Amino acid sequence: MKKIGMLKDMIRSAFRQPVTELYPVERRPAAEDFRGMLHWNPEGCTGCALCVKDCPADAIELITIDKAAKRFVIRYHVDRCLFCGQCAYSCRFNCITLSNDEWELADLGRDNYTVLYGEPEDIEQFSLESEPEPDIEPA
Amino acid sequence: MNPTQTADRFIIPIGPQHPALKEPGHFEFTVEGETVTGASVRLGYAHRGIEKGTESRNWTQNLYLLERVCGICSHIHATAYTLGVEQLAEVEAPPRAQAIREIFAELERIHSHLLWLGVAAHDAGFDTLFMYTWRDRETVMDILEEVSGNRVHYSANILGGVKFDITDKAANTILKGLDFLEERTHHYRSVVNEDTFFLQRTRGVGLMTKEEALRLGVVGPTARASGVERDIRVDAPYIAYHDFPVNLVTLPTGDLEARFLVRLDELLDSYRVIRDILNDMPEGELTVKRMPRKMKPGEVISRVEAPRGELFYFIRSTGGESPDRIKVRTPTLCNMGSVIKQAVGHNLADVPMILVGIDPCFSCNDRAVSIRESRRNGQEKVWNWADLRRYGIEFYRRKMGLESSILE
Repeated sequence: MKKIGMLKDMIRSAFRQPVTELYPVERRPAAEDFRGMLHWNPEGCTGCALCVKDCPADAIELITIDKAAKRFVIRYHVDRCLFCGQCAYSCRFNCITLSNDEWELADLGRDNYTVLYGEPEDIEQFSLESEPEPDIEPA
Repeated sequence: MNPTQTADRFIIPIGPQHPALKEPGHFEFTVEGETVTGASVRLGYAHRGIEKGTESRNWTQNLYLLERVCGICSHIHATAYTLGVEQLAEVEAPPRAQAIREIFAELERIHSHLLWLGVAAHDAGFDTLFMYTWRDRETVMDILEEVSGNRVHYSANILGGVKFDITDKAANTILKGLDFLEERTHHYRSVVNEDTFFLQRTRGVGLMTKEEALRLGVVGPTARASGVERDIRVDAPYIAYHDFPVNLVTLPTGDLEARFLVRLDELLDSYRVIRDILNDMPEGELTVKRMPRKMKPGEVISRVEAPRGELFYFIRSTGGESPDRIKVRTPTLCNMGSVIKQAVGHNLADVPMILVGIDPCFSCNDRAVSIRESRRNGQEKVWNWADLRRYGIEFYRRKMGLESSILE
């Protein structure tokens, strides 16, 4: 007699709920250590720029407002980011975290993909000083 | 050659456009009627410049670049690179880090082999097996996401250790997942071994003897299915394979069925090894105390066993922050030559299965195949991969309809 290997599986599955999820309607919470969007906390940052040096995708820029007073602004390019987590690992002062709930990052334009992090007054000062730059593609 | 033979002889080119293949290839199969009489392969189409790219990035950045050589065996590429760089820096990752690397390597092997089983079944027209293996593969993908934070590029390695620990909670998740997968793997093994229709596509197809396999320098499960005892994990244990050895799985038959069974048996062995490691996890640090940013000048080679076979890295440093040269040789390159040998004498309908049998990352094979009809009229008929696959399935359907046990 011919043996049909998957017959039992098929019959059993006919009486089961589908295993797929109705994604936009049902959302499974991301894993605890999921690596999503980067967040930077200016407290403790010494401006060593290890995160910038080690980033494989040139996604982080460190802008120095006042080196002596340790005032920095981080310009983060979400669209370039690989979410590898090396920056968070390289940072000795735990200033960088990767969020586990911000992972639906699709957008229609690239404008929202450049994010500035830092103390509000530093960001303001930086925005006043710098002229709007055209978005340069990484090499 | 007389004119009738010329009229019957077709050359079927396959490729070279193939987004999923690490070594995108162009195959030309010469067929007489249904039978393949000759085959040739050309490689080197999708040159991404990764090796050159490594020279302009620092040692840490290269880790992530090289991880992206392959989407399926990402961890093992990073492992091969880190092991090489650690040799250059004369440091050794702590035992716990090595054990975690082995867990990831084996989890990756599980997901890669399950993926392959599904793809191979799909090319044989056995879509039920494809759907169910991929459903079950989600278990191991979820484990990887839970433990590392990402499904595909786990980025577990860093130079000198690993990024994250495997906590007790993570260990429980892994063990629970493995129990389910082990049960399913036993089931798939019996399906692959017993399903009458599937056996007609695999048993005795794509035969390669041990001598041929040795001569062609075949690696990985493809070699082990021909009885070649070749596994870097056993021959030259790296990371934690000294302490947690794997069993060498070989089969003497050398046909497609053997390639299925070797991979499925390796799965069962991977489950055992992961359980062994989790039961007896070494304690200690996850990284070395100090990893230099500049590596000493020197040349190293690093060999690891990727899911598809031996992966080879050559790294040369001149003492700077970036490598001077990195050469990567992936297992698919070694196995590609065997396709030419195996295909000869088989039906054209078997070609997709023989190609997929070496596991060449055929995850999204959809590209143009041009069939040059008889040279006299010079017409060209264009087939894509889906057509060839359909042709193979239809061919066997017709054949099985006429005669149920053609191989007996």
